[in-house]
Amino acid sequence: MNRYFLFPGLIIIMLLSACRDKKSAEVPEPTPYEINIPFAFPSILNIPEDNPMTEEGVQLGRYLFYDGRLSGRTHPDSLMTCATCHIQANNFEAGIDHPVFEGGIVHGITGKTTHHVMLPLTNLVWNRSGYGWSGFIYPENDQPFYRNLEDFVWLAVIAEDELAGDTTRVKELFQEIDGYPDLFLKAFGSSTVTFKNIQRAIAQFVRTLISANSRFDKYLRGELQLTQSELNGYVLFTTEEGADCFHCHGGGGNPLFTTHLFYNNGKDTIFNDPLDRYSVTGNPMHRGAYKAPTLRNIALSGPYMHDGRFATLDEVIEFYSHHVKLSPQVDPLMHHVLRGGIQLTTQEKADLKAFILTLQDDEFLVNPDFGPPPLFPDQK
Amino acid sequence: MLNKRYCILSLSLFLLAACTRDKSEPESGGLLVLNIEHSVQQNPLVVDDFLYTNEAGNNYMVTEIQWFFSDMELIDASGNTFTFPEAEQVFYVDTDIEATKEIKFKTRIPAGNYSGIRFIFGLNEQKNKSNRFVNPPESFMFWPEYLGGGYHYMKLNGKWINPDGLTEPFNFHLGIGQVYETNNQNYASYTFGEANCYEHCEGYRPGSILPSIKAFIHNYFQVNIDDISFSVADGKQTNLTLEMKVENWFRNPHTYNHNQWGGSIMQQQDAMQMGCENGHDVFQVKPSE
Repeated sequence: MNRYFLFPGLIIIMLLSACRDKKSAEVPEPTPYEINIPFAFPSILNIPEDNPMTEEGVQLGRYLFYDGRLSGRTHPDSLMTCATCHIQANNFEAGIDHPVFEGGIVHGITGKTTHHVMLPLTNLVWNRSGYGWSGFIYPENDQPFYRNLEDFVWLAVIAEDELAGDTTRVKELFQEIDGYPDLFLKAFGSSTVTFKNIQRAIAQFVRTLISANSRFDKYLRGELQLTQSELNGYVLFTTEEGADCFHCHGGGGNPLFTTHLFYNNGKDTIFNDPLDRYSVTGNPMHRGAYKAPTLRNIALSGPYMHDGRFATLDEVIEFYSHHVKLSPQVDPLMHHVLRGGIQLTTQEKADLKAFILTLQDDEFLVNPDFGPPPLFPDQK
Repeated sequence: MLNKRYCILSLSLFLLAACTRDKSEPESGGLLVLNIEHSVQQNPLVVDDFLYTNEAGNNYMVTEIQWFFSDMELIDASGNTFTFPEAEQVFYVDTDIEATKEIKFKTRIPAGNYSGIRFIFGLNEQKNKSNRFVNPPESFMFWPEYLGGGYHYMKLNGKWINPDGLTEPFNFHLGIGQVYETNNQNYASYTFGEANCYEHCEGYRPGSILPSIKAFIHNYFQVNIDDISFSVADGKQTNLTLEMKVENWFRNPHTYNHNQWGGSIMQQQDAMQMGCENGHDVFQVKPSE
């Protein structure tokens, strides 16, 4: 009997489908954006089903990423956007020598500094285990506004220590800027600017920021040979009796140069940061634990650690070599802790640094596709 | 025009489905679900707490265990072996990832009575190739090229109380071992293999940093479970439990002492060999309750 009901149902579906076809003919479907997976990189990407990558979405996201009006304000003194702090030449961080953000310590439009220092926006399309130093934005989060990169965009716009904006004001402002409604139409099928689509577009752009052509990548692909010092550093990087960086920061078998996981790396013995990994998991063993950031372009990503306590790579290597501290929470992977660290010699420190510098991708840092557009949609 | 085609196609598919529905027969073979458990002294493993004492007297805790097993085979009562296809020959298990602790095999198994199970702890030479896994969490198990390449068979991380009363981390990591120039031990019983690294990585072993490596040793081993009896029936599901008895890594025949081997053993073949030789009775398989 059910079959008799299904026939008219099928016809209705056909008719509806035909109607949709007619409408879509008026607004061309956006062009899918293809991400080419670099050699040895993961094939699984963090692209949510409700925000597929498109050429038009990425283009719109790039405009928004660089448009200071994202703060919802138009006065020249009140402009602020993602790129105010996330600077391409500095691995999409502010940089230790930033003229405004002294020492790379960033603050929002109100002058309030962020709770933690910045993390780079590099290769985030492969991050599937949480954003931020504590990983408080993660896919399985019960709170629907804290699940993915799109949510980080929303948070950045409204946060007092970032853009301190108002989502209604922002979407209304971009609705009135010449050129933007048309870009929203092309990217999302509607010229009505919604904040959700602003989030989606910027997240799409950020997911294109792929760094995979460093000297080390070329070495892995067999295109060049590293120097002896760099090779020595690679061995140190990937051996337990060397510097033992690889368990948390990857290597040839994990070219992201991070696990995107969270570790207490022995910086302290007393933990009173309310926004460490413990704040997410509730596991007391996670006090003082933070995300292991990618080491790609790391020389440009200072200051280092969640609180920016180290200004240079040399200071970081010195810490891991001689100043690691024992606490009940220190991660088991810090197995050199009772010796105070990995005990590198001066030459070994130099070699390790030489290897880490091979992870710098100069092409990424100047790729025009990732840089500011020459003009915004309203030709300003 | 296109919509007419859709309509005809949909109707055809619908009618075909309606016609075949009543003629379906029970599929040949049964399905297997393997539940993975980790235990210490017959109780479920509790992580992050100093609850355990090993045979050497080390008071220890475990924070996580991540491991591979591969090439599982079932042996029926007549001695015939059932081998799973390539797609179901390697499995990763992680105490932090619930989904890895229940393996639902897609391949149907011939109905019958079975009396044995075999599998490889870790990965054999053919399977343990660098870049086999590009996606996490498996890719995070990579074993550095310099040390032989491929993947960790297991990362068992934890801490123990050392003789000074301090909590000291240990990384009980098993994988390909190395024979260094300074090493004079007799490894005659082991399979020596080539490094599994990419060809262009050859020659990046600086003797000035670490002793030169003469050879690599594949430490994987076969686990034989022959004290089991279970049945597989057509169209039915069989549930088995694979249990790792964690404390057995540290006993029988060798008493493994963290105070002797310290926190890291990836470059200590003697320690890895001891761990792997203890592995013969680490695993148990039984019908799930």
